[in-house]
Amino acid sequence: MADKKIVIRVAEILIDELKLEDVTPQTFEPEVDLIDELGIDSMDLTTVVLVLQDEYGITIDEDDYPKLKNVKLIAEYIEEKLKDK
Amino acid sequence: MNVKHTRKPPAGTGASGTKMKFSDIIADPAVRERWEKVRKYFFLRESTYDMTNRCNIRCDGCYYYEGDKQFASENGNPDDWRALMKIEKERGITYVVLAGAEPSLVPELCRVCYEEIPLGSIASNGFKRIPESVGYKIHISVWGNDETSLRVRSAKNLLLRQIENYRGDPRAVWVYTFTRDNIGEIHEVMDILSKNDCRATFNVFSAPVGYTGGLRHTAESLARTRAAMMEVLSRYPDHVLFSPYNVVAHTHAQGLHDLYTCSYPRMNPSTDIGLGRSFRQYRTDLTWDRSAACCVPDTDCADCRHYAAGSAVVTARLYRHGTDPEAFKAWLDYVDTYLAVWVMDYQKGENLLNRMTPPPGFDL
Repeated sequence: MADKKIVIRVAEILIDELKLEDVTPQTFEPEVDLIDELGIDSMDLTTVVLVLQDEYGITIDEDDYPKLKNVKLIAEYIEEKLKDK
Repeated sequence: MNVKHTRKPPAGTGASGTKMKFSDIIADPAVRERWEKVRKYFFLRESTYDMTNRCNIRCDGCYYYEGDKQFASENGNPDDWRALMKIEKERGITYVVLAGAEPSLVPELCRVCYEEIPLGSIASNGFKRIPESVGYKIHISVWGNDETSLRVRSAKNLLLRQIENYRGDPRAVWVYTFTRDNIGEIHEVMDILSKNDCRATFNVFSAPVGYTGGLRHTAESLARTRAAMMEVLSRYPDHVLFSPYNVVAHTHAQGLHDLYTCSYPRMNPSTDIGLGRSFRQYRTDLTWDRSAACCVPDTDCADCRHYAAGSAVVTARLYRHGTDPEAFKAWLDYVDTYLAVWVMDYQKGENLLNRMTPPPGFDL
């Protein structure tokens, strides 16, 4: 189960960086597929990754991008990275 | 394919080996402005299309007449092309590159593509003018001065003909391909192009698989190409669409795949995201083959320094440039250049970095 605070913050970053409309961090469906359903591509994802790295002081490897399919998985990934710090 | 193992830079390490927060890098107003300018175009998703198997000239080292694709039957039916473009649009393709063999010979098909997907470019030898109703960028290939063009392309007065066809046309960008043999001719060609207010960008000859001709670069010719590019860039700043980082990326002793890890399907098995997921290279019979799919099929991947490949491959490596201020400026210059070359009405800004900087994880 992903930390709710991280889920909300990831959603906030996605909304801000990708200028998503008609959605708030609270209404962002954490399991919606960012690539298949929201049409996010590699450049968008990289932008979000750079902001997340800053925010949490972690390093996200390029090879891990395919794991970052939705907000819930991103939040869980961040939690794991924070445990390893 | 003879491709060496690719060395990936350590995660989060930039060109100078330093690591900086992305938010701090983009706090610089000039960097922030350029970042906001280029990121508006992150929606571009390209695929490429061979339009006809005919050409009105025949050039030494032409990629189209290598491999199997030249033998595909030609589908000249505009309805079939329109149907394909509609499917491509549904698939998320927002940018088309019309290439092989010579799209100007099938202007009606180019028009159909433009009507369905209005962003794109056409690779042409410039001999025959493409009607203005096709509002794509037009990349006009130049392989040296007219004497050289006559020798390697059997085309007489080609530059003059290209200028007559496209002078003052905002669609036109002349693409000078540096081969091992024509490096010094860039000065003569740029002099003519600038006097006619024509803009140019640079390509580096990338040998097709199995190519044994004399145009393939050596370490020495790449070094001379680098010096010539830098000189011309500073001499014709208003007529050359390029940056010092473009120079580095395309004249490095290691090719684009070794430097940046090519993301086209031919070299990238992943279908998760990016080019590996969406890119297709269609032949003239409207079929495509994932194992052959890249922007310039049948190029020897180990020798690939193609401008079209770099536009996607370098751009896709935002992450590797995003933690070092100098590397990020270089990347922004590269992307700003690529957009000015490939997107109608996009205006290139001044380069943020006027010196060469190495690709992340490599030397100059």
